[in-house]
Amino acid sequence: MIFEAESKVIRIGAEAVVSKLEWNGLKLVSKHRVPKPYRMPDLDKWVRDRRTLHEAKIISMLKKSGVPCPAIVLMDRSESTLYMQFIEGTELRNLLHDLPKKVIEALARSLGEIVGRMHLTHVAHGDLTTSNILVDKEGRLYIIDFGLSVVTDDLEELAVDVHLLDRSLDSAHHSIREIFMRNFLKGYSSTVGREQALKIMEKVKEIRRRGRYVEERRKKH
Amino acid sequence: MGEKIVLGIESTAHTFGVGIATSEKRILANVNYTYRPPSGGIHPREAAQHHSKLAPKAVKEALEKAGISPRELDGIAFSIGPGMGPCLRVGATVARALALSLGKPLLPVNHGIAHIEIGRLTAGCRDPVILYVAGGNTLITGYLDGRYRIFGETLDIAAGNCLDVFGIKAGIGPMPAPEECARRGGKFHPLPYRVKGMDVSFSGLLTAALKALEGGMKLEDVCFSLTETVYSMLTETLERALAFSGKSEILIVGGLARSRRLGEMIESMARLHDARVYRVPDQYAGDNGAMIAWTGVLYLLAGQMIHVEESRIRPRYRIDEAEAAWREMGL
Repeated sequence: MIFEAESKVIRIGAEAVVSKLEWNGLKLVSKHRVPKPYRMPDLDKWVRDRRTLHEAKIISMLKKSGVPCPAIVLMDRSESTLYMQFIEGTELRNLLHDLPKKVIEALARSLGEIVGRMHLTHVAHGDLTTSNILVDKEGRLYIIDFGLSVVTDDLEELAVDVHLLDRSLDSAHHSIREIFMRNFLKGYSSTVGREQALKIMEKVKEIRRRGRYVEERRKKH
Repeated sequence: MGEKIVLGIESTAHTFGVGIATSEKRILANVNYTYRPPSGGIHPREAAQHHSKLAPKAVKEALEKAGISPRELDGIAFSIGPGMGPCLRVGATVARALALSLGKPLLPVNHGIAHIEIGRLTAGCRDPVILYVAGGNTLITGYLDGRYRIFGETLDIAAGNCLDVFGIKAGIGPMPAPEECARRGGKFHPLPYRVKGMDVSFSGLLTAALKALEGGMKLEDVCFSLTETVYSMLTETLERALAFSGKSEILIVGGLARSRRLGEMIESMARLHDARVYRVPDQYAGDNGAMIAWTGVLYLLAGQMIHVEESRIRPRYRIDEAEAAWREMGL
């Protein structure tokens, strides 16, 4: 590791291990894409390097557009590791039950604006669930984990973000989900424009109808 | 309840097969005729002509091999889909004729589920996460609440199709030729590696591999890079599905289950997660009649029959559209 500091694992994902560390008073997280012994070494290295680079690029694009996400402090390509700002916050998923209605409305609206800005930057997150949205003490929102994100203007990919967000509210109470999505759309629409928001919602409905949204994609090819 | 005997007909693509299986888990016959086009890929209509010519012979041979008379059968199963329309129609027609003339129940087997069930039976696993890889299909699935759910799949062409087409266009022929050729290569050349969550995409990879060959790269090295990339993508998505499903068994079925290298890679991944790997035996890996017969037995026991009037073929039938009620019965 580049930073001489003790680290504590906070998340183990499918391809990466996320750890927290403190270095000279600076709180950081590292996202290390771990080698997969089943892949041939050259291929493994290439895949991990490309994904690390891709994620760093996306984050820097989003930072420039003012989408709140952890800033990249350092990229260690030899280790396929990104060092990022640590965000002192809680996953939105864990907050939904306890917050008053007014606060939820404000959060949802603000998230709508943020996701709208991300989409205007031509980025689809790819895994936009309430576990990948953090809320800090001041109630500010951050989007994290861009491992599956793509640069695209494809309506379908953008709509999948909205669809996944809605689906991830599954565990929350029905009325909360309804209030959340209504306000999310207000914020989203105010950022991307009414016309585009309507197009996206039409796509979301279509995705929902399709169940597992595959048949349609297959026809495209 | 005595031993139930089912005759099953496979006719989705290049193989016309007739199998006979029983509720005592015995495979009494497995007769298969495979259409080999003189050159290039399969033309559905030509394959269908091949199938209708050989159908009576295949049925007769299967019954002879099993040593039973048609009267002893308890049901007639056939692949209702997915597959190529003209081919499916041949199998369906033969099955309907047999069911009607013998007065036996007609069992509309999903071809993909048949690959899975013959794998579970012959490899001996209970509740695996399944990689189904073949010339026409690539998906990762597992059983949950009455159905086989799709965790991930190809967004364009099948993994087997990618390798077959490459082999044919490169002049060495379909699988296993590209994998054999890959063993003589060793220089890795990066090719598009497209994994999206638990889904994969192979069409860009195929194009890039053909381009690399045109660009003067050694055939052995392209085969090496291509097979390594395809198998790594499959293994990585399978790894995600394993973690997602919380299962501890992995089953590999379909024609590509014969690949040694893919098997090795999946073994290596499974060791990281303390999972056990099961592979369908080679003789049941490709399309065959026995898998339809055995799955027909399960359909029969679960009461999943169909009336002849409703037995229209389903070329785009997905495995998650089919019920698998026998799983709830512990079968």
